[in-house]
Amino acid sequence: MKILIVEDNERVARFVTRGLREAGHTVEHADNGRDGLFLAASEPHDVIVMDRMLPGNIDGLAIIEALRKSGNRTPILILSALNDVDERIRGLRSGGDDYLTKPFAFGELLARVDALGRRNVDHGAEHALQVGDLRMDLLSRRVSRGSRAISLQPREFKLLEYLMRHANQVVTRTMLLEAVWDYNFDPQTNVVDVHISKLRQKIELDSERPLVRTVRNAGYMLTEHDE
Amino acid sequence: MNRLIRSSALTWALGYVLLGLAALGAFAVVLWYAWNVTIFVAREEILRDDAQRLADRFNRDGVAGLTAYLDARVGMQIAGERTLLLTDAAHHRLAGNIAAWPQGVPNQPGTHAVLLQLDGKPTRMLLLRTPLPGGYQLLVGRDLAFFVPLEIRFTWGLIAAVTFLCVVGIAGAILMRRQLLARVEGIRQTVAAIMQGDLRRRLPTGRGGGELDTLSQTLNGMLDHIEYLIRGISNVSNSIAHDLRTPLAELRSRLEELSLNRPPAAEAFAEIDAALADVDRVMRIFSALLRLAEIDSGARRSGFVRVDAAAVAAEVVEFYEPAAEQKGVVFSFEAAGDAAVAGDPVLLAQALSNLIDNSLKSVSERGAISVRVGRRADGAVEIAVADDGPGIADADKPRAAERFFRGDRSRASPGVGLGLSIVDAVAKLHGGVLQLLDNHPGLLAQMVLPVTAAPPGR
Repeated sequence: MKILIVEDNERVARFVTRGLREAGHTVEHADNGRDGLFLAASEPHDVIVMDRMLPGNIDGLAIIEALRKSGNRTPILILSALNDVDERIRGLRSGGDDYLTKPFAFGELLARVDALGRRNVDHGAEHALQVGDLRMDLLSRRVSRGSRAISLQPREFKLLEYLMRHANQVVTRTMLLEAVWDYNFDPQTNVVDVHISKLRQKIELDSERPLVRTVRNAGYMLTEHDE
Repeated sequence: MNRLIRSSALTWALGYVLLGLAALGAFAVVLWYAWNVTIFVAREEILRDDAQRLADRFNRDGVAGLTAYLDARVGMQIAGERTLLLTDAAHHRLAGNIAAWPQGVPNQPGTHAVLLQLDGKPTRMLLLRTPLPGGYQLLVGRDLAFFVPLEIRFTWGLIAAVTFLCVVGIAGAILMRRQLLARVEGIRQTVAAIMQGDLRRRLPTGRGGGELDTLSQTLNGMLDHIEYLIRGISNVSNSIAHDLRTPLAELRSRLEELSLNRPPAAEAFAEIDAALADVDRVMRIFSALLRLAEIDSGARRSGFVRVDAAAVAAEVVEFYEPAAEQKGVVFSFEAAGDAAVAGDPVLLAQALSNLIDNSLKSVSERGAISVRVGRRADGAVEIAVADDGPGIADADKPRAAERFFRGDRSRASPGVGLGLSIVDAVAKLHGGVLQLLDNHPGLLAQMVLPVTAAPPGR
């Protein structure tokens, strides 16, 4: 994917740029709002990572609003040190697609950038999701693996749907909390892990090939491929 | 003096004295006018009657008759309060009790109030001059000096009233001012002491329930809140110093050791992972503190909506069910009746999640946790989490919700010591309280949210 990073902190920018390049992405970097707006407007990108506080007291949200007004629909991940719920809502309302608070783990950023890039590709209403022999029918809300029908609780269904929509991508625990439970607080214990392991018991019998992989220091990935 | 003038109590009192004086003055003027008019008209009437009677006698008996009559009347001394004079056309005295036609009698017939020289003395008189046929002149008058004592009494009465009003008013003002000043001075001294750092001082409040008492009580309430906030801040700074310093110190020594020893790669990476975990712990404390600050500021109240506490609780319980199951804990949930409150669903979920989380950490395997949501008799919604774990020691209960407080029984378990603080802050934000009770054995933690927490649907 081609990713634009608008971030004035040199160390953060270098760290993110290097990490994204290692993950196989093409990365452009602007260290101020004007260049950022220019690059974002003049070239197509798959994802833009936008810092909120930019030199010259420019709020990244103003740039996002300008881009959206000109018809640019590129998914944007907002980086911010402001963690208030209200700030988060403001960020998303101004046209951002996701919001990540500083400081962040790189795994979290990468997972969210991947999720945003994928969202850009996935268009059209799907009626079914498939990963390997795991199949989810979104209309009849049925899940099966091969010929084996799997019965899931509503929340488990939502969890699996999210994992399948982001198949072959890392999803973090925070992303799952936000997307599946709508919670934006830290539940302290490993509750999400327990939900995943319960889901695993249902979709991965001993004889079947494991699908949900735990990614160290980051989260989970649903994939049919081996490591 | 300047201070005396600026004193608001005195200004008010003086204003009232002036108002009183003005009212008294207006009253006196009206009374004086009415009295004068009434007396004057009445006297004039009497004089007219008198003069008419004399004129009738003149018409009947002629000059001689009237002269004789007047002489008789003067001789009987019944004219004492009456001045009588009958003269001919040339103003020569024919009869009466004054010696000669006095100076200063107006030429026109009718009633006049005049100042006459009588026996060399200036005398104010009400005088009725009646021309009789044949050029004879009749004067009937009344000495107004009879009213002087009354006028004097009226004037003195007025002066006395004014003096009384002034003295009582000013004395009252000074007393009022002194009392008010004493109260205000008390408030000032207390506030000055508080400004100098003695935050435990409170304003004196009487039993009276007067305006000043109400004000003092309100101010005391404000001071309680300020003290609570300031103690919170100082606790937090102390706790930050302690609780962040510990992981930061660990982190620092880990990194320094790594830098000095240059261990083989595998070991170095393990150390780096441990360092990252330290950083994450610091970040967790930070975000919990920020969350607390956000809740304490009350800003979230603007986003209150009508929330079904039972539905929120059901979701949180469902969220924790697998974790409880994994630990072999008996986890039960019951919700009775309508449990709608005005609130923030995410914060309520977080608060309940913290309570369940605490219980999950404290109960032993095969323990029991039960969550209950219901409306109490007084209309308040109660969200309760009961467990059969070790509970909180009675001595620790009052402090359990303080930031970073960790009782002896929980010190060993993981956590940063902010969970109950957040629950407490959420309950307070909703106008309610967090109660920590004994569950015999275990802990019964309940959030009691009054219905009046905030206007719903806003």
